[in-house]
Amino acid sequence: MAKVTMVEAITMAMAHEMERDPSVVVLGEDVGLNGGVFRATQGLQQRFGKDRVMDTPLAEALIAGISIGMAAQGMKPVAEIQFSGFIYPTVDQMINHAGRLRTRTRGRLHVPMVLRAPSGGGIHAPEHHSESNEAMFAHMPGIRTVMPSSPSRAYGLLLAAIRDPDPVVFLEPTRLYRLNKAEVEDDGKALPLDTCFVLREGEDVTLVSWGAMVHETLQAAAKLGEEGVSCDVIDLATVAPIDFDTILESVEKTGRLVIIHEAPRNCGVGAEIAATVAEKAIYSLKAPIGRVTGYDIPMPLFKLEHDYMPSVDRVVKGIRKVLEA
Amino acid sequence: MKTFNLPDLGEGLQEAEIVSWHVKEGDVVKVDQPLLSVETAKAVVDVPSPWSGKIAKLHGKAGDIIPTHSALVDFDIEGGAAAPASAKKEDAAAQKAAPDSKKSTPIAEDSGTVVGNVPTSNAVVAETAIIRKKQKLEPQRVKALPSVRIKAKEMGVDLAGIPPTGKNDTVTLDDLRNAAGGGNRGGSAPSAPAARWDVPAKRTDVKYGVAEPLRGPRRAMHASMTKSRSEVAECTLFDDADIHNWMPGQDITVRIVRAIVAGCRAEPELNAWYDGEKLERTIHERIDLAMAVDTPDGLIVPILRRVESKNAQQLRDDLNRIKEATRNRSVAPADMKDPTITLSNFGMMAGRYATPVVVPPQVAILGTGGLRYDVVPVMGGIEVHKRIPLSITFDHRCITGGTACRWLAAVIKDLEKAQ
Repeated sequence: MAKVTMVEAITMAMAHEMERDPSVVVLGEDVGLNGGVFRATQGLQQRFGKDRVMDTPLAEALIAGISIGMAAQGMKPVAEIQFSGFIYPTVDQMINHAGRLRTRTRGRLHVPMVLRAPSGGGIHAPEHHSESNEAMFAHMPGIRTVMPSSPSRAYGLLLAAIRDPDPVVFLEPTRLYRLNKAEVEDDGKALPLDTCFVLREGEDVTLVSWGAMVHETLQAAAKLGEEGVSCDVIDLATVAPIDFDTILESVEKTGRLVIIHEAPRNCGVGAEIAATVAEKAIYSLKAPIGRVTGYDIPMPLFKLEHDYMPSVDRVVKGIRKVLEA
Repeated sequence: MKTFNLPDLGEGLQEAEIVSWHVKEGDVVKVDQPLLSVETAKAVVDVPSPWSGKIAKLHGKAGDIIPTHSALVDFDIEGGAAAPASAKKEDAAAQKAAPDSKKSTPIAEDSGTVVGNVPTSNAVVAETAIIRKKQKLEPQRVKALPSVRIKAKEMGVDLAGIPPTGKNDTVTLDDLRNAAGGGNRGGSAPSAPAARWDVPAKRTDVKYGVAEPLRGPRRAMHASMTKSRSEVAECTLFDDADIHNWMPGQDITVRIVRAIVAGCRAEPELNAWYDGEKLERTIHERIDLAMAVDTPDGLIVPILRRVESKNAQQLRDDLNRIKEATRNRSVAPADMKDPTITLSNFGMMAGRYATPVVVPPQVAILGTGGLRYDVVPVMGGIEVHKRIPLSITFDHRCITGGTACRWLAAVIKDLEKAQ
């Protein structure tokens, strides 16, 4: 079994699916000759040719638009946006077409495309390179939003995203691309979408996180574990639609919930989780729901980015507040 | 001879690896001519020459890692005319180099990004990621609204033992009240019986949560305490007077006043005014004793005049008079002016010792706590004696600790007399 980083797992998933399914194509800026700015498509053009791994002009609206067109006509495009801050020109295409073509055509056409983009901060990048904008996509009907938090989930979820008959925005935490390695077997086994993954089981408090913040959340859970506090740690994985069954079941067990995300707090995905838990599990809550999030400001430039992103200490503090309530 | 240092090729990179040299020692180069290719964490870039001149020495060979800002190339500049500040030129070179980075050829080993710094490690992590089977949990956990939970916490009731009657098997406020009141309709007793817990009712004469301006005596207190805090170097000494030997019928307050007179006779320096700006001290012969009196309106401090010249009966009459005047708020301003020393007799409510605050220009204030029975060693045995706790605060700017101790010793000696 190969020991791979998250970015290598992503390459592996695309290569596997291109090998298996000739309708899968990869497109984006610098994805061919250059192998992608983060090297996620390294070697794919050499292996599958220029017809299936296409360098596009620097035009994100075009990348999304032709992906939708190809997808509607039976291809399975996997498009890369270089940085999440440059994803906004695709929004018109995604919200007006990708998300509604199935509805508009009463199911005659559908859009099996994947829009991949790096996401989140922590790599000391310049402005526009560090945003967490998953809530924006989560708010768009008809589109799945997925954020992996480990090499194996990146592999399994990307396979599932490519195979899914509908559009998936696949946001890859840049900070995790090479943070560590894991043993991932290139067996072509997809993981289920719309499903949470429980990474640590506990009784006292439910922690829900996704993307890069899963790492701070797990460290916080380990720290509190040393003090005898047992945390049920849930990786959301699919940010929209949310697998509320797993979350509600856990909250009914623990009675306490803390949501951790890097994106700004206001109207973040955490708000949706908190609202639904309040609607459906308020009788089980022993304490107010807590959130540990980024701030409601533009992501700061890199000298201050670590003040912005929730640290392990901030997460621990947020959990304690809910435990002591 | 000039030395060209490796410029920062962008984003604060710490080092670069030499891929290949395009020039060799002895070559004559022109400004902007590529000197070498280096590989940074970003990409392979060409570094242009900042100057025209002859290459004197190349620092490093292909494969070497060069820290940013360390020597790269030595130049022999023609005519020795110093080119403009090298730093500027280096920056210019860096600027030139940086935009080229995107054009450079793909590279096998790189940091995997064109911007920033992707954290990298080879650490292999193992994780377990469980997909939970959806199953209905047996309703063993208590279901209740947060408001009910808070109420239960306040009442000290464990919700677990209360039979739920609400929708979806929730424990309602009524269930809680019934359980707390002992009316367990279901017959099963709560696992933890509600403990009786009497919280005193809140005061109705207080305005809660409203900012109110300080008035009257409280305003005066603000002024005098602030002045004291900013001027006086306060030091407080504690001791007790053993009044076990008192004859019956002693008037405690009057005895304390007499003891103060005794203290001031022994050490008159505490019966004084001090002007901290002029550094002048005025010791008084007369003892005008201010008595701090707590009233609903705040602290009022009327004065017993010339206490050194009065007998017990006169002091008692004066005390009664000022007590009455204080109670009906008829103390004249003149009766609160220019005391020479202050007594704060706080002990009738609670408190043993205190650090009473000196009000300038006075230099001392005595605090007397509540009388209490103490266990005292007497002749190798133990007896229980009544004692008065004493706290004397003095202004250490003009009074020494020794003086204050002697003053307090005289007070105690007088207080401990039988009558």
